[in-house]
Amino acid sequence: MQLSRLWGIVFYRTLAGIKAEGRQNYLGYFWYLLEPALSTAIFYFAFSHVMGRGVEYVIFLLIGLTAWQWYEGTCLAAATAIKAKLHILQHFDLPKHIFPLVTILVSTWKFLCIFFVLIAGYLLLGKNPWPGWNLVWLPLILACQLLLIVSTSIPLAISATYFNDTLTLASTVFRILFFVSGIYFSADKVPAQLLGAFYANPMAGIIESYRHVLLDRQPPNFPALLYCALASGAWLGVGLLFSAYVNRRILKHASL
Amino acid sequence: MPASDSKPLISLRHVGLAYANPLARLRLGKDRRIHALRDVSFDVHEGDKLGIIGRNGCGKSTLMRLLARVYEPDSGTVSFSRQVHIQMLSLGVGFEGSLTGRENAVLNGMLLGKTRAHMFSRLEKIKEFSELGDFFEMPVGTYSSGMVLRLGFSVAMETEPDVLLIDEVLGVGDASFARKSQKAIEERFTSHHTIVMISHDPNIITGLCNRAVWIEQGRTMADGPPAEVSAAYLRARDLA
Repeated sequence: MQLSRLWGIVFYRTLAGIKAEGRQNYLGYFWYLLEPALSTAIFYFAFSHVMGRGVEYVIFLLIGLTAWQWYEGTCLAAATAIKAKLHILQHFDLPKHIFPLVTILVSTWKFLCIFFVLIAGYLLLGKNPWPGWNLVWLPLILACQLLLIVSTSIPLAISATYFNDTLTLASTVFRILFFVSGIYFSADKVPAQLLGAFYANPMAGIIESYRHVLLDRQPPNFPALLYCALASGAWLGVGLLFSAYVNRRILKHASL
Repeated sequence: MPASDSKPLISLRHVGLAYANPLARLRLGKDRRIHALRDVSFDVHEGDKLGIIGRNGCGKSTLMRLLARVYEPDSGTVSFSRQVHIQMLSLGVGFEGSLTGRENAVLNGMLLGKTRAHMFSRLEKIKEFSELGDFFEMPVGTYSSGMVLRLGFSVAMETEPDVLLIDEVLGVGDASFARKSQKAIEERFTSHHTIVMISHDPNIITGLCNRAVWIEQGRTMADGPPAEVSAAYLRARDLA
């Protein structure tokens, strides 16, 4: 019963977040589709017509950038979710991690809209658009990345409530990872002796898997997905234990 | 049977609690904490109408959050006889401006510890008590502050906790709704409900409660009949 109550709270707060996003601007939810459509058009023009790279490279890049943006944008937004709701938490006995979870779900909804536009754009612009039956693996890749996001965000949000420095540190780490996750290049460009380090970052395997499924008519990189799922699952377990330990302590020690 | 003869619902023994002082983080070797509670002990029994009296800054609000299980103590013990549902009367806290009054009533009820099914079954009563009419189906962001309080109060009255924690609030909203809400709260004081109320006004405590605890500088100074405890509190305040 307690679990169903908590899911109810997450559901209504997520609904509130999605409604609020839609009402922020005059064009409302239309921005969910317009924003990625504009980015896609700009990338298409810049890389295809100005730099002379093929449409395939534009799609290759957009897949990497969109997946990365879901990861980094969501984790950094979720990092401040507990601190932003301290005024609520001072009145109710609630597990603190439900607030980052709400931020993740709102952000994921937005990502899925963007991803839909991206796939639609690919089907319209790509030379060999039908990615084949390997497309059925797409939900598995999305699930692995969602697990990675949740497992990264919960400890990050708790830590950021104690120490403001966490956000600066996390932004720096994300910036470094951005350049080594294979967004601008594929794994075959990585020197053999560095491949282990390259795949140690779970996002490298995730981005590669999206491209395998959407562009290369191949199944995803299963060992990389398994590694991501196991590492994320273990880290999520640690995060939930950490959350339970600090649950009634954190508000006494929150930073300004 | 007098309430105090039964097994306590909540029992506090030598409870202490301190906050981190964010301005003194790098002062190593010193006690960097702000002590809100130092040594608090009392029991809350089923059916008690317990008033907690004390000056501003004596630790009353911290004590409420401790009773609501938002905090855990740094020293001493807080024990609960069973899985009691304890609720702070926090009007409108956690409301989302983009959700309708109806949706917020369900969300707020779940924040207060109730299930979605329970809140669905009380929605018409909440709508009626809050006197919001068609506004109940409008986003709360369009409400006046008085309307937010009315909705918050109406939700709180339908959640029926085992222990209700009240922080000074009795009547809310405009004159008419204030009378109605004060009456609803006072009815709780004359029923079987268990209530813990904090106030710095001895008249309120003496008028509504059957027991009082006086807290001063984070310590229990007196525990007993409201008239005696209030008199001791007033004497100390006049001497200070």
